[in-house]
Amino acid sequence: MKKTMIAGAVGALLALGTGSALAAAPDWGKVEGKDITAFYPGVSPLEWIQKGTEHGGARALKKGETCADCHSDEAADMGKKMASGQKIEPTPIAGKAAFIPVKVQAAHDGENLYVRFSWKQPAASGAAKMDDKNPVKIAFMLEAGGKVDLADQSGCWATCHTDSRTMPGADEAKTKYVKGGSLAEGKFYDLHQWRSGENKGFDGYVADKRVMEGGKALVSAEGKKDGDTWSVVFTRKLAGGEGDVKLESGKAYNFGFAIHDDSAAGRFHHVSLGYKLGLDTDGHIKAAKQ
Amino acid sequence: MSEQNSDNSKQENPGGLWARLRRPSKKSLGGLLAVGFVVGVLFWGGFNTAMEATNTEKFCISCHEMYDNVYQEYKETIHYNNRTGVRAVCSDCHVPKDWTYKMIRKIQASREVWGKITGTIDTREKFEAKRLTLARREWARMKSVDSRECRNCHSFESMNKEAQKQRARKQHEMAVEDNMTCIDCHKGIAHHKPEGMTEEDEE
Repeated sequence: MKKTMIAGAVGALLALGTGSALAAAPDWGKVEGKDITAFYPGVSPLEWIQKGTEHGGARALKKGETCADCHSDEAADMGKKMASGQKIEPTPIAGKAAFIPVKVQAAHDGENLYVRFSWKQPAASGAAKMDDKNPVKIAFMLEAGGKVDLADQSGCWATCHTDSRTMPGADEAKTKYVKGGSLAEGKFYDLHQWRSGENKGFDGYVADKRVMEGGKALVSAEGKKDGDTWSVVFTRKLAGGEGDVKLESGKAYNFGFAIHDDSAAGRFHHVSLGYKLGLDTDGHIKAAKQ
Repeated sequence: MSEQNSDNSKQENPGGLWARLRRPSKKSLGGLLAVGFVVGVLFWGGFNTAMEATNTEKFCISCHEMYDNVYQEYKETIHYNNRTGVRAVCSDCHVPKDWTYKMIRKIQASREVWGKITGTIDTREKFEAKRLTLARREWARMKSVDSRECRNCHSFESMNKEAQKQRARKQHEMAVEDNMTCIDCHKGIAHHKPEGMTEEDEE
């Protein structure tokens, strides 16, 4: 907490010092980071995690535990099991990275939220490219108030279903969705993505289906690779339009992210468990005002 | 008089078998007790030795039904092979330790002998077809005795949850809270889970 406060104070001083009144990303060297392991999830959609005969944690989920309560320490091991095909992966890709350790940082300045992801590029599998335009894509989702069923517990899993595209036997036109998805009722996930090949940010949402564009919150998404380390910064207005979660200081939001590494598409990504992003409040990731 | 005489003669005849049985000397009484004791010990010892013989892993896997199916699966598990070198053999989990319960289980096992004779699971296909029924029977037995055989070695009290992985710690804390028993969660810990299990099996 102290560190965050100091970092916040230093950030504010720096901003004043440079006289920058424009939306400017914070000095990331001074923003506390949270290390989160994104792992290869195999075929583990929302239906699977709730099935007691398959997932021993289904009972815990019913009792209200979160995925991270049980699995945050073992994400890398889970990734190994699934990437190797030992568990719930009918078509393992030889050489596919099992997990990616990611540093997540966040800050805000009262107008914009800044989220930065950095990670070391894993070795390429050499497998056929699923998305030949984009070697890397990264996306994060936000949900407010736990209005979506299981959003408070399962992060992005609430959008991931057994009949979504690239799942075994699924319709290729069927995207992610949430149960009872409705923008009007606030039952949706806000979605932001950056694609390396197209070098472009996307601002969409997931409600009754996934929509990639049309959001009003995303200001910019910029990524670069220094040596073998990627860093991607999203700048997003706290406010927004339809399909954007409106962020307020003092509140925490459901947060999860995914990396499509190695030119992957669909479910062949690395995902984080569900975490909380707190704006000036407690959360796994804290976005303090700069 | 003559009657008395004859009575006397009976009494005075120490060689009479009947009399010797009816009024054994102290020596022979001691002898009888000693022989009885020895025979009893031998019988009891023999009975228990024979019963213990049926409790060995060797005995259990002498039937191909056990050797080819459940034994092969068990060999892949931590109850067979682990870092500390402690093994739980078939009977440790499937036969009660307490004598009375052990006897009851052994008598019930006569049904398994009948199954062996009639060949109810003598092929892989027959075994797989019956596996869920057999597993459910054993799960019900374990649940009805609060996983007594598991608890011969394991207990919540002696568990150091701090040393457990995050997931195990969480699950065990919930199990204590909800008064659950080992087999509620640990089905398939030593053998593959049967096909066709339902959500009720995991309740």
